[in-house]
Amino acid sequence: MSVPVVCAGLAKTFGGNVEAVRPTDLAFAAGQTTALVGPSGCGKSTLLRMVAGLEEPSSGSVTIDGLPPTDILRKAGLSIAFQDPSLLPWRSVRKNIELALDLARRPKEARKIEQLIHLVGLDGFADTRPAELSGGMRQRAAIARALATEPALLLLDEPFGAVDELTRQQLANDLPGIWEASGTTTLLVTHSVSEAVMLSDRVVVLSPRPARIVADIAVNLPRPRQPDLARRPEFAEIVDEVFAALAEGIAETLPKAAQ
Amino acid sequence: MTTAAAFATPRLLSGVLRGSLLGPLAAILLWELAAHALTGAFVLAAPSAILVYLSENWALMGRALGVTLANAGAGFLIGNLAAIVLATIAIVLPRSDALIRGLALLVFCLPLVATGPILRVVFGPGPWPQIILAALAVYYTTLIPLLVGLRALPSGWLDLVRSYGRGRLAALVHVRAMAALPYLIAGLQIAAPAAFLGAMVGEFTGAERGMGVLTIRAMRGMNVEMTWALAVVATAVAVIGYLVIGWVARWFLRDEPPIILAPPPAPGRNGRWFAALINGVVITCAALLLWWAGLKLLNLNPFFAKGPWDVVTALFTAPDAAETRSTLAGALGETAVFLVPGYLAGLLAGAALAMLIILVPAVAGTAMPLAIALRSVPIITTAPLVVLILGRGALGTVVLVAIMVFFPTFVACLHGLRQAPGRIIDVLNSYAAGPFEQLIRVRIPAMLPAFFAAARMNVPASVLAVTVVEWLATGNGIGSVMALSASLSDYDMLWSAVAVVAILSALGYAGVGLLERKVLRAYAPEQLL
Repeated sequence: MSVPVVCAGLAKTFGGNVEAVRPTDLAFAAGQTTALVGPSGCGKSTLLRMVAGLEEPSSGSVTIDGLPPTDILRKAGLSIAFQDPSLLPWRSVRKNIELALDLARRPKEARKIEQLIHLVGLDGFADTRPAELSGGMRQRAAIARALATEPALLLLDEPFGAVDELTRQQLANDLPGIWEASGTTTLLVTHSVSEAVMLSDRVVVLSPRPARIVADIAVNLPRPRQPDLARRPEFAEIVDEVFAALAEGIAETLPKAAQ
Repeated sequence: MTTAAAFATPRLLSGVLRGSLLGPLAAILLWELAAHALTGAFVLAAPSAILVYLSENWALMGRALGVTLANAGAGFLIGNLAAIVLATIAIVLPRSDALIRGLALLVFCLPLVATGPILRVVFGPGPWPQIILAALAVYYTTLIPLLVGLRALPSGWLDLVRSYGRGRLAALVHVRAMAALPYLIAGLQIAAPAAFLGAMVGEFTGAERGMGVLTIRAMRGMNVEMTWALAVVATAVAVIGYLVIGWVARWFLRDEPPIILAPPPAPGRNGRWFAALINGVVITCAALLLWWAGLKLLNLNPFFAKGPWDVVTALFTAPDAAETRSTLAGALGETAVFLVPGYLAGLLAGAALAMLIILVPAVAGTAMPLAIALRSVPIITTAPLVVLILGRGALGTVVLVAIMVFFPTFVACLHGLRQAPGRIIDVLNSYAAGPFEQLIRVRIPAMLPAFFAAARMNVPASVLAVTVVEWLATGNGIGSVMALSASLSDYDMLWSAVAVVAILSALGYAGVGLLERKVLRAYAPEQLL
């Protein structure tokens, strides 16, 4: 269950003069995980939001499995998880997951929801409200909600960005296996280079705003990825390559003082 | 906005129980002594005398209270339902938002004392004028926080709804409705005393039973004990209504209700003058159309039901138009003399006291819940007292307007002062800046948005106060012109006065909004986005 995504000449200009994304051609193969990496504020989230159909492109187009995003949304064919877990504070973890199914007009199967809660490691917290969960647990709940509709396309906007480094590593170890197992096409926006390399099959490096592709790096590392992969030389090599591309993009775009 | 607010109920109650009973007890004692000292002056009734009056006349008082409560309750329901329906429409059809806000403001600016007599001739002596006035008194103060609350949510929640291909209605049902609940509660808390006030104003204008009728009777008969007893009962009922709603809300709310109940200043960014102008024209046309259509639909007698054209005729083309205009202008001038100083004094006093209190942090914690509760006192119902104490001259009117403006301003300013970002206060502390310097450099700028929001919302409130006092007691100004034309059946004059006062109030509101934008652009540009 996965779909290819094609961006053709995709560009976004805000308020008539702030250019966020320069015309970009990008294709994401079905079932692959692609990381979009770039300095903060470079327009990578805007790119993701255009793929999600949440932002109207100024020019160019997005097609998901040959259809515009709005058609995919109507079929609840994609899910998005944000840096802010965006859980409704008056609903428990279970009810927040059910919300996604409600919105997607899908049946709420108690057993499946229970299974999801187990998979993301929130056993025993199904009836807890977000305020009583730690930041990492909230992200787990948000991921569970995003996966509840079994989306063919999963969009992750810095999903582990708002938690501390240790929790972040823990989440990056625990969660990706769940969506990798279902073979969804995944787009991951992040500014953590090691996270990008660890989780994806391909890293697209973007320049500072307006976003432009600086490098497109394949990550040919064996799956499933193990935590000790991060200490291997071939991992470090790719990380270095990504860092070099990032630095190049920044050097080309910004004057020295602004870096 | 929801964080710093204190639930008035528990703190107030526990405060009273904790032994701060001493203060109120001393006040009552002082009141008692003062009343005995002034026995001959016919201004102050001692607490004991009020109790004696209440115990002797509890049946009369109870009946009147029952009638007024029933009317206020019906108006509360109708007004709040209308507010909820209007807010829902404005959210689901965002294009209608400006129109709904504009019309709602215009209707809120109708002077209740003149709307009362008009409703009286339309509906006759039954309870409907009181009920409609109660509804008119509450719908705006519920509509505005609801509109704020329905929008005050993280954009991620709305993106979530959209990412499943769902629209505005799903967002309203699944996300906005619950997110707006604290704001609705805050609106309802203010609405409870306002409904009581509206019902009483309705009864001033010729009902047969109720607290308002007794108030008129007490004033005419110079019955000091009765006047005071009525004011005490009205105040108690209003505060109890406020506390009960807060108490009920605690059962199903996570957050505390927000405090600031004003909309952000009207959108109208630089270079959008044209859009604002179009907006104004649309609102005016819609108001005229509704006015005209309402009269046609209700099929009212043209003798007392005057349409927009009748008012234009009366003001500009009729043979006595010049006379009508000069009467109105003269009365408005008289009113302005009371209104403007009272309004400014109330604003300044509210802001000044809030600043004083913030300098003494120990007091600030307890002052807040008390002020919030006092904000619910229907000041208008104490109008007869102010007249008793300060006389029918200018001072009484100015003071009443000032009191009316004072409480909401004080609450808003205190809230604003306490909103100052903690990090910036920490920075100042790291330079050993004293409380006074913090006040000047950080807290006052942080207070400005709340101050102006209160200033804006207080324009119609102060107009209500001044017209009620003029109507009830002083016998001059526009309120008196309304009272006179109502009793003389001069409906051309009455409708003209209503229209002119409503338009001037709305313009005053817009004028304060304009000033607000100028100030906020300098001190809080993030509020203007």
